Amino acid sequence: MQGPSIEFEHVGLTLGATSILEDINFSIAAGSIHCIIGANGGGKTSLVRSMLGQMPHSGRIAIHWHDNRVVGYVPQALDFDKTLPVTVNDFMGMTCQRRPVFLGISRARRREIDEVLDRMGLAGKGRYKLGNLSGGERQRVLFAQALIPEPALLVLDEPMTGLDVGGRDLLVGSIVEFAGAGGTVVWINHDIAQVNEIADTLTYVDRKVRLQGNAREVLRGGAAAGLFPSLELAGATTS
Amino acid sequence: MDWLYDIPRQYIIGLADEGVIHYTFLYAFVVNGFLCAFVVGPLLGGIGTMVVIKRMAFFSQAVGHAALTGVAIGVILGESYTAPYVSMFSFCILFGLFLNFSKNHTKMSSDTLIGVFLSISLAIGATALLWVSARVNTHILDTVMFGSILTVNDTDMNVLLVTAVLTALVALPLYNQMLLASLNPALAHVRGIKVHLLEYVFVLLVTILTVACVKIVGAILVEALLLIPAAAARNLNRSIRGFVIWSVIFSTASCLIGIYAPMRWDLPVPSGGAIILTAASIFLLTMVIRMAVPRFREAAL
Repeated sequence: MQGPSIEFEHVGLTLGATSILEDINFSIAAGSIHCIIGANGGGKTSLVRSMLGQMPHSGRIAIHWHDNRVVGYVPQALDFDKTLPVTVNDFMGMTCQRRPVFLGISRARRREIDEVLDRMGLAGKGRYKLGNLSGGERQRVLFAQALIPEPALLVLDEPMTGLDVGGRDLLVGSIVEFAGAGGTVVWINHDIAQVNEIADTLTYVDRKVRLQGNAREVLRGGAAAGLFPSLELAGATTS
Repeated sequence: MDWLYDIPRQYIIGLADEGVIHYTFLYAFVVNGFLCAFVVGPLLGGIGTMVVIKRMAFFSQAVGHAALTGVAIGVILGESYTAPYVSMFSFCILFGLFLNFSKNHTKMSSDTLIGVFLSISLAIGATALLWVSARVNTHILDTVMFGSILTVNDTDMNVLLVTAVLTALVALPLYNQMLLASLNPALAHVRGIKVHLLEYVFVLLVTILTVACVKIVGAILVEALLLIPAAAARNLNRSIRGFVIWSVIFSTASCLIGIYAPMRWDLPVPSGGAIILTAASIFLLTMVIRMAVPRFREAAL
């Protein structure tokens, strides 16, 4: 599997009279883990949604695909009526098969679903009602659906929200494994220490690109400038 | 297509003639009603689950009321006042599409917008019906509003059958996509689903279904048959499979009982009213079961 490389050229986004993004320029290498960081309201989600073709942006966003063009997307949360009669298997089935889920899930798909649920620590929870799961378990289901069919690009919008330490380790392990196999990861992440540990490159967005480049170098520079008060890095002065 | 109905019709009438089933089935219109019930029940029960998930009950009510205006327009334009399908379909489809377009292009919440459109459609319908009331027997309008199997003929059955086939052909392959688009539009979009287009498709399906079922259930009550069986099924189920299957069963049973009971016991109730009262009884029963039985109580959590 080989993930795509991505280029952002002069990307802008204006909604009504509000400028959300201005002249965004950076690129993401194939097979890398690229984190997008920044304050709330800085335009991170809008940037990712522009990349996914969901926002009327200006400029150019080029995704250079290889054979596999599948995008696995993990939204921030699954905001739905929790009383709806939808099981975990129903949800997984509706994302990856054409046959109506009320007619059952094909054997091949069932195997794949069981396997990813198992990998996410959700073995045996396929028949649970989605609304009855804890927030962390639902996040893991959201991550699991992004892995079927096998994606070349993983787009993650703060997937760690509500996860306990075990859940975080599980997801981080899967993300690193995915990138190690050649997949590209675009990840909106607020956890600076985690970004420092895992990301290859990062972009710090606050309407414009404020910082961009190798993750550890950018973070060291940012920490020295007092941009990341919670981050303690060797050789960097923290405020 | 009349031969299609003649075969089961003659068979059922034959059974009644031999005393195997109740003599009520000697009447062709009762058999027609039953044949329609086997189409309307599964159709509205199945689509009703999506109406509940998408929270569009109010929308189908607005379309049902728009059918009244469609009837009035049909009479004004000289269509048969017992089956003004061209005007009903045309007006209701335009009404549904415009409503959805307005919803997508304004920042208003859908319940407010549907409320506004519902009031407008009722006002136009009432005005137009008053205008045409001098030209037709106003009892015909009762048929449109509350349904009557006495007036169901082969044309109505043709309209229903074509609508049913069309709905099944469109809705079955798109069911998962509609479901996912309702739960998370952004995720659906990434999966290649055309979320807005699907919304329009669903609006069209609900609209043509509503119009096609007007003769059987009535314009005022067809929305209830989309909603109540699905709501009853939701009371007892925790999976989509159970939800859809039980909704179809409840809806079909309501139609069959609602058509048969007034004939069998000579009750002065229109078919639409009887169907909805049956569905409402089933809903109340499922509510009691849900409250009384712990296993089902969990389904609602």
